[in-house]
Amino acid sequence: MPIKQLKPRRSELSLIIVAVVIVGAAYVLASLGRTASIPANVIPFTAIVLALLVAGHIGIRILAPRADPVLFVLAAFLNGIGYVFIARLNRRQAAAQSTWTMVGIAAMILTLLLIRRVRDLERYQWTLALVGVGALMLPLAPVIGRTVNGSRLWVRLGGLSFQPGEFSKVCFAVFFAGYMINKRELLASATWRLGPLRLPDPRHLGPVVLAWGGSIIVMTGEKDLGSSLMLFTLFLVMLWLATERPMYLVSGFTLFAAAAYVAWRQFAHVQRRVTIWLHPWNDPTGASLQIVQASFAFAWGGIAGVGPGRGDPGRIPEASTDFIFAAIGEELGLVGATAILAAYVLMIGVGLRIAIRSERQFDKLLAAGLTTILGVQSFVIIGGVVRLVPLTGLTLPFLSFGGSSLIANYIVLALLLRISDEQAQREFRQLNAAAPA
Amino acid sequence: MNSRIRRFGIVLIVLYLAVFAQLNWLQVFKAKAYTKNPYNNRETVRDFSQPRGKILTADNVVVAESIPTNDKLKFQRSYPFGPLYAHTAGYFSLTYGTDGVEGAFNDLLAGRTDAQQFANPLNVFNSNDRTADVTMTIRSDVQLAAQQALGDREGTVVAIDPRTGAVLAMYSNISYDPTLLASHDLPAVRKTRTFLNLLPAKPLLAKAFRERYFPGSTFKVITAAAGLTGGKVTVLAPIYPQAESYTPPLTTTPLKNFSGQTCGGALFDILAQSCNSAFAQMGVEIGPEQMAATASAFGFNEVIPFDLPGGARSVFPTADQFVQDTPKLAQSAIGQNDVQATPLQMALVAAAIANDGSMMAPYLVEKVVGRNGQILRGANVREWRRAVDANVARTLRQAMIGVVINGSATRLAIEGVEVGGKTGTAELGTNPPSAHAWTIGFAGPAGNPRVAVAVIVTAQPGAAEQTGGKVAAPIAQAVIAAVLATPDPLAKP
Repeated sequence: MPIKQLKPRRSELSLIIVAVVIVGAAYVLASLGRTASIPANVIPFTAIVLALLVAGHIGIRILAPRADPVLFVLAAFLNGIGYVFIARLNRRQAAAQSTWTMVGIAAMILTLLLIRRVRDLERYQWTLALVGVGALMLPLAPVIGRTVNGSRLWVRLGGLSFQPGEFSKVCFAVFFAGYMINKRELLASATWRLGPLRLPDPRHLGPVVLAWGGSIIVMTGEKDLGSSLMLFTLFLVMLWLATERPMYLVSGFTLFAAAAYVAWRQFAHVQRRVTIWLHPWNDPTGASLQIVQASFAFAWGGIAGVGPGRGDPGRIPEASTDFIFAAIGEELGLVGATAILAAYVLMIGVGLRIAIRSERQFDKLLAAGLTTILGVQSFVIIGGVVRLVPLTGLTLPFLSFGGSSLIANYIVLALLLRISDEQAQREFRQLNAAAPA
Repeated sequence: MNSRIRRFGIVLIVLYLAVFAQLNWLQVFKAKAYTKNPYNNRETVRDFSQPRGKILTADNVVVAESIPTNDKLKFQRSYPFGPLYAHTAGYFSLTYGTDGVEGAFNDLLAGRTDAQQFANPLNVFNSNDRTADVTMTIRSDVQLAAQQALGDREGTVVAIDPRTGAVLAMYSNISYDPTLLASHDLPAVRKTRTFLNLLPAKPLLAKAFRERYFPGSTFKVITAAAGLTGGKVTVLAPIYPQAESYTPPLTTTPLKNFSGQTCGGALFDILAQSCNSAFAQMGVEIGPEQMAATASAFGFNEVIPFDLPGGARSVFPTADQFVQDTPKLAQSAIGQNDVQATPLQMALVAAAIANDGSMMAPYLVEKVVGRNGQILRGANVREWRRAVDANVARTLRQAMIGVVINGSATRLAIEGVEVGGKTGTAELGTNPPSAHAWTIGFAGPAGNPRVAVAVIVTAQPGAAEQTGGKVAAPIAQAVIAAVLATPDPLAKP
């Protein structure tokens, strides 16, 4: 007799209903706040949201039945709240965002379909490394590369614009995991001295440093500080987790501090960011307009917020992308902003729990790396918007407007679900094998 | 690896807690400071981008309204009559706040009172117009008559219905155009305001109730009231000696009559001639206690209750300030020395006498009507105080009617109407000679006055020869005529 199964999918379905109710209510309230009318399309809207989430649920039920039940719901909740705010800020972007949400959920299902075993990824680590580097460099290519807001991050092919950098993060996470697990013994053993530092054999460290250095150079060329910081943190955290050597963290952050100092001295755009962060009131209507308006928006929201649709977040430039958290802070207040923070913290918790539960080292490191992508990126952009750290242009995972970001994050989600499902299947088999027939 | 992952999780949680702490800093601790930051105009824009009720006159002329615009503020406050209602309706300015009805009735105009917000439970879900219109007691025809009668002379006109306290006209020259302060062109507003503040005539000040002047001879009415109330004076006695001056005890400096004339006689005669020597003597004989008591009874030394805040109190010395100072008492009895009164106060003096001694509290707002027609606030008709008893009031009325028939206020007379009055010329100096010219009065059907007025034309260099009777009385007469030109709204059919 098989052991009574846990039913993660049933919990997921009931949580989906809760998420749909919250998103539907937020949508109605935002419309009431703006135009004092219940939106005419509220029933089709709720139906579509429900259909999308149920489609994602069915996909997971078929392809990863034992995966964690909370992860997808958290993503859907953030995605839904993000959509409500995008719709409230910019109707045209809302139409695009709904398409991207569909594509994102489809990408999640497709990823689960293509990658049936985590082991498959391990085999393609080098291919993915190349894809990652290629994706990073793509915007630098002539003709198709585009510069938006001073950063060359965009590629335009046919009628479609996208940010390949969003996808390279995922590729690098897989590559780092594969490479570091393979070479962890060698990376962890210090055989080579450089002054006070004891470093592993450069032969083993080489490819990692190369990948990292290359990405940093590309990032500097593209003037994208956010992604640069993101990738560097991903690299350091994964190296530290794999080798359990704090030396990597110390030397890494020393290196980073030096690089940051050099960047601050050398690049006007870095200097400007730091000045805006430290002295926003020097030029509140010019250079610091965005951050000052964001602070005003948070202050205006107060504890309870002014209500969905009743604020004026349109004053903040880029309110629907990088600064969407300020719009939420204004209209939903400290309470709503804290709920969003809680959703990210939960997502990090679930991701790290998947990592801890996994028996395979590669799975473990990959899950931790993927969680780092979500957790650190969210922190860097939210911290920038609330002026805790210097502002770097990054999208807020699942919440911000933007197709590339949404699709890439749903792929991250799919990989976490795959790892979680595989481990649960493994445990289930072990339990059944141990149980008397 | 697991312990490292846990440690990493703790680091991430600490980072998110730091974000949470920073959110508290922004949304709780610094919320007020950021909202009041001069670069943050969310609050003002909220107030300005909402509809706002109209301000109307008693005869339904719109004197302030919000006109929809295409700019960010959505509405422009407009004052079609410019300076005419500036000191009553006030202004609504993005940079300088509010004044007048715009300020005192701000919440009702903006629809922010609980009665307006929660009149209908469905209001929570809609943004229906919840504003209210304020109807003033000012009559546009009387207000216009006051403006035209004053012309380009500096001064103030107040007209009151003595039976209710309703303010029928309240106008000061020079005034200002509130439209200029309500403009959305903020640098221009700042310039206008700076310019207005620099003018010595203080155009922004609602002088009718926020500025004090020497009342001069108009105060003799109160001295007469004190005499009649205390029983020291009757219509027949005493008969004051014909004299050019009066020298009070404790001094050798005589108090002279106006331009050296000789005058004296019984109450009606000395009031008609505005006889300084007789009234100075009367004040000294009445004594400090009764003088101070009657001045208080008329509302001196108190802020007059009114729909608009910031009223100045009129001043009469207390009884103990006259101890060992009969010259001060003599001067005070003819409205000099430390005596000061607002134009509204002097209008109320005339009104109380016209209304059998009962001084009604003046009011400016007739009603506030919500969008659905419900009256949110009615007129506040009540007696403020009893100035004198009815017999004294009737005697004073007869005396003042005499002043119009054969005294200093003949220019107040109107054919077929019973008009009473008193002029005043408060001399401020002799080199160069300058004086405030006053007239107070009442008028209406015999025995039933329906308007009381106070007019002051303030001293101006080069206007030395202005006396109350010559300068102020014709203005008061024009305003009274304007009031009486329309049928009495309180008359029983």
